[in-house]
Amino acid sequence: MKLRMNLVLLALAAVLLFFLPDLLKLFFDKASVSYLSLLINATSLAILALSWDILARTGQLSLAHAAFFGAGAYSTAILVKQTDVSLWLGLPLAALSAVLLALLLGSVTLQLRGIYFAIATLSFAEVLKAVIQKLPSSLAGGAAGINVEPLFRPQFIAGEMERWEIAFLRNESYFLLYAGLLLATIVLSLLIESSSLSYAFSAIRTNEEVAAVMGVKAARFKLLAFVLSSMPVGILGAIQAHRIGSVSPDETFNVGTTVLALVTPIFGGLYTSLGPILGALGLASIEEFLRRTFSEGYLIGYGIVLVLSILFMPKGIMGLLRSLRKAQRESL
Amino acid sequence: MKALEVKNLSAFYGKIQVLWDVSFEVEEGEFVTIIGANGAGKTTLLKSISGLISNKKGTVTAFGKSIEQLSAAKIVRSHIGHVPEGRQLFHLMTVLENLESGADYLPHAKREAAKTKAYVYSLFPRLKEREKQLAGTLSGGERQMLAIGRALMTKPKLLLVDEPSLGLAPALTKTVFQALKTINQEGVTIVLVEQNVLQSLKAAQRAYVLENGEVVKSAEASSLLNDPEIQAAYLAI
Repeated sequence: MKLRMNLVLLALAAVLLFFLPDLLKLFFDKASVSYLSLLINATSLAILALSWDILARTGQLSLAHAAFFGAGAYSTAILVKQTDVSLWLGLPLAALSAVLLALLLGSVTLQLRGIYFAIATLSFAEVLKAVIQKLPSSLAGGAAGINVEPLFRPQFIAGEMERWEIAFLRNESYFLLYAGLLLATIVLSLLIESSSLSYAFSAIRTNEEVAAVMGVKAARFKLLAFVLSSMPVGILGAIQAHRIGSVSPDETFNVGTTVLALVTPIFGGLYTSLGPILGALGLASIEEFLRRTFSEGYLIGYGIVLVLSILFMPKGIMGLLRSLRKAQRESL
Repeated sequence: MKALEVKNLSAFYGKIQVLWDVSFEVEEGEFVTIIGANGAGKTTLLKSISGLISNKKGTVTAFGKSIEQLSAAKIVRSHIGHVPEGRQLFHLMTVLENLESGADYLPHAKREAAKTKAYVYSLFPRLKEREKQLAGTLSGGERQMLAIGRALMTKPKLLLVDEPSLGLAPALTKTVFQALKTINQEGVTIVLVEQNVLQSLKAAQRAYVLENGEVVKSAEASSLLNDPEIQAAYLAI
């Protein structure tokens, strides 16, 4: 019942997202380009955050999401460079390589808990990065990386369109792709929430021993969470590689990706579908606002915002909303 | 048939041996208690039976089937329920969700979940009243009822109960033990591990005494109540 309502809301959101670029263009004209790129940042952050949260629901706080992201990006880049197949085949390939990586990482870390788990996963992205650097550069591009063809080549007639309109057209297609991936990830998350997987995940997170005596095969569920969590991130990496136009070990296996993957859901509210999305919208907007206001050194302000949010809303935006709603109910 | 047959069971935490050749048996339908002081190895014994400790030697047979090699998740599927020490509920889930979680991963239990739930509510009407409440907001006694209820949802034929009296007022302890007796009378074999020796000897039919990881005594529960040694060591008479 609740699932059906959420899916209806999601369908509405899908319609809105589909027309959003046109609305932006209508209202903001030239400025719409930067709004669109803000939206792209927020959407891709939301995909990363929500995927990370799916894994975190089993108590596995991963620092490996840059590895899944990079695996997706690199497998697409290599496919595109080495073969003549359709560019779109790179997306399922990216999902597949992220999943295989997740199965590998998941099975070697099954016995690890807490901080030990986190450290093991952190080293994973670094190892992968080193491997890519050492591979023959004719295959993986070495330290310089590989250029990746764009997925979209908008049709335009020279002289008839302004430069910003061309940029807008290109970003519009990417935005729709990101939005589609985000919607798919949300559906995945909602299905997990409404199925018996959600009990199993939170049972494992709360107390793996009790989960075991309830008949939950913890190893299987933990691996499943790894697989489900890595898939969207792998595809995200592939899309990003096309949009940026290149992959390189330092840019693609960036610790920043790993950090954002966990900071965003914490900022928004853990173990929910809505929290990571709100967190992504919030953080992307705050970052953009600070960058425009302070330009140089805006990251200091960003850091302060994060520190304050941990101090004053430890349960994230969702926690804040919950306590506001509770206060409202009590005042009635 | 014997519900449970433990032979020469030894268990280890790393290199430290906690159980030493423990052997005991439970007939189907019996209510057996294992008493002993703090640190005697009672919890370790239950955990070894239900598969939470895998570092062990010896044999465990339940309903004629050897289970000492199985994982905990497989052992529940052999109809052995475990009520862990300290309740270990899911505090952020409601009473109802805690109960449902007991049946969700076991096909045979899930089919009868509605029926079992009604049974648990008839046993503990308080849980029905608090169905929608978060488990973390329950009182100690209610939490213990819920922990037992959740284990019942797994449809056990043998129920291992670890220290249900922990932190409970005497009156509540009685209620909980009474419920265990009722569950037993309806056909579930019970192995109860307790520090509250008086109450558990009153509830059970037979008892084993565990000291420093070894079984030192076994007898009818009623005769242990009158045993001068037991009285001196555990009952402070």
